[in-house]
Amino acid sequence: MKDFDPTNAPVSADRRRVLLGLGVAGAALAGSSLSGNALAAAPAAQVTEAPHSEKTQDHNEFHGIHQTGIVTPRPTSGMVVSFDVLAQDRDDLERLFRTLNNRIEFLMTGGAVPQVDPKLPPLDSGILGPVVIPDNLTITVSVGASLFDERFGLEAIKPKRLIRMVGFPNDALEADCCHGDLSLQFCSNTADTNIHALRDIVKNLPDLLLVRWKQEGSVPPQAPLKPGQPAESARNFLGFRDGSANPDSNDKKLMDQLVWVEPGSDEPAWAVNGSYQAVRIIRNFVERWDRTPLQEQQSIIGRVKTTGAPMDGHTETDVPNYDKDPHGKLTKMDAHIRLANPRDADAMKHRILRRPFNYSNGVKSNGQLDMGLLFICYQDDLEKGFIAVQTRLNGEPLEEYLKPVGGGYFYTLPGVVNENDFLGRSLLAASATPSTKTA
Amino acid sequence: MKKSPLALLLTLGLLQTPLAAFAATAPLDLVGPVSDYKIYVTEQIDQLVTHTQQFTDAVKKGDLATAKKLYAPTRVYYESIEPIAELFSDLDASIDSRVDDHEKGVTAEDFTGFHRIEYALFHENSTKGQEALADKLNGDVKDLQTRVAGLTFPPDKVVGGAAALLEEVAATKISGEEDRYSHTDLYDFQGNIDGAKKIVDLFRPQIAAQDKAFADKVDKNFATVDKILAKYKTKDGGFETYDKVKENDRKALTGPVNTLAEDLSTLRGKLGLD
Repeated sequence: MKDFDPTNAPVSADRRRVLLGLGVAGAALAGSSLSGNALAAAPAAQVTEAPHSEKTQDHNEFHGIHQTGIVTPRPTSGMVVSFDVLAQDRDDLERLFRTLNNRIEFLMTGGAVPQVDPKLPPLDSGILGPVVIPDNLTITVSVGASLFDERFGLEAIKPKRLIRMVGFPNDALEADCCHGDLSLQFCSNTADTNIHALRDIVKNLPDLLLVRWKQEGSVPPQAPLKPGQPAESARNFLGFRDGSANPDSNDKKLMDQLVWVEPGSDEPAWAVNGSYQAVRIIRNFVERWDRTPLQEQQSIIGRVKTTGAPMDGHTETDVPNYDKDPHGKLTKMDAHIRLANPRDADAMKHRILRRPFNYSNGVKSNGQLDMGLLFICYQDDLEKGFIAVQTRLNGEPLEEYLKPVGGGYFYTLPGVVNENDFLGRSLLAASATPSTKTA
Repeated sequence: MKKSPLALLLTLGLLQTPLAAFAATAPLDLVGPVSDYKIYVTEQIDQLVTHTQQFTDAVKKGDLATAKKLYAPTRVYYESIEPIAELFSDLDASIDSRVDDHEKGVTAEDFTGFHRIEYALFHENSTKGQEALADKLNGDVKDLQTRVAGLTFPPDKVVGGAAALLEEVAATKISGEEDRYSHTDLYDFQGNIDGAKKIVDLFRPQIAAQDKAFADKVDKNFATVDKILAKYKTKDGGFETYDKVKENDRKALTGPVNTLAEDLSTLRGKLGLD
């Protein structure tokens, strides 16, 4: 077992700190009086005392050629909200993008909320207090195929592969959690920070945005890594490590190749430095899964449950060698990871950057838990990326335990390079002509 | 990722004392509109009493067709004055509670009033066993009339009523869940909107004196809502059922309704009311 090795003394010391809620930062402060006080005070904390975090001032730079929240490391809390755009004309649409731009810049930076006459409703929900913390927040803005209908004169400049999501054979799409004109992906250290940001946007854009659906999710934090230990992926609600074969998001060149639409592609020029976003709400039948023998779970996924290693490997990062297993004796031919990525030359062209969260919504009428995976991925070519990979997965044995019920395809807008730029500027500029402007 | 250097500096923003942005409207300026509003509410309740009598008579006579026809036009008078009617929470519950306000649903003993009778008329397609409910509704409405007659209208409740009516629309009318058996939601929708607009109209001079652009924006959004609702008016002066409302019109209603809810939520403050 890799998760916890009790024979390793240094790890035990780290684990004690983790159990005390201090983690790496607590260790870094060891010896200072603050740390001493915190350690002494921890057992005496009051029931209602707020949990502590050293990361509330972490922030991501809003300006950049790409939007944040894609190659940015994934924090604990995620949320995707899809909207109908209520704008009546292009001027409205521009006001929508400019307002979104300004709200997102503020929310990602943090700062004091202006105070108004107390006879008026406050400008901010106040759930983060009078000074908004950035808390590592990113808000990623993407647009759906329906925004390119006749309303705003954008038909001619739709990204080439952007379509309304079409159900796959195992899907049971529910109309009230599918598609949308615009999606916002919120990621931060805490669910409350995401909710604060959503409520700010809803309050500031009542005439231009209508919430269509929303799905929150989380990623379980892992114990700090031992020195030299390779990074591990978080576990999904099937208990397996998820994201093991993800391309290296720190490899700029690889991200340019797989994730970002680059100049010279066949996509419209305005779309350069954007990306395709696929969102899927994939329900897991967890009671049934938990009643499935371990060896069957492992052969369905194609990985060892404890370590995340492929069937022929020892650690999660080991690459399976399917050439040595041409008949699927070790890793079945229809195992999830083998179908998704057969590790051949062709598969290299279909790689996607996954950024999923686990979700848990409540209980179904049959008393079973409504939970699963809020799957999010990014790629520079939706057809070659998500659609091709999911098509290969059609009919996989894992389908017995999965039911995709919602989501949608969106195009993530290029980043905002400086103060003179704003979200959606290139999209509006590319379609602005005197005739459509007044239409 | 960087640590934000702004945090400490920005807490200084807290030191700024928020200034009262709006001078309170002189209390005497509010007397006229408030008493005019009481006249309006009284007239609406008189209509409600008359129409409820006719409606409940039809129910008791077993005249299903007439009862169905009178259901929605009767309720409109209640919907337009809901902020005042809701001041009497016991009557509001017995006159206008919906099935989901009751854990036991339609079988709940305290589920009475319009929506319980609506269930019988439109879901069970019958007036059978509704006599006691009809009498109770009639009595409750008359009780409301008496209580409102003796009520001193608090200006903040009157002005705040405009926002409250829009919250009603945003919460239960857009979704079509108010009149889930009869699907006559558009009557209630129009009733709420008319009631809110009446309040804005009565206070228009005071509002415009504070913020003319705001008054214009509110008027524009009311006009947009009215225009969309008008598309669904029928020849007899009523409305189509809510299932006939096109998806794009539902969406087109949501924008101005939510914007009116946001804007009218500032109305009390703008008039300097606590």
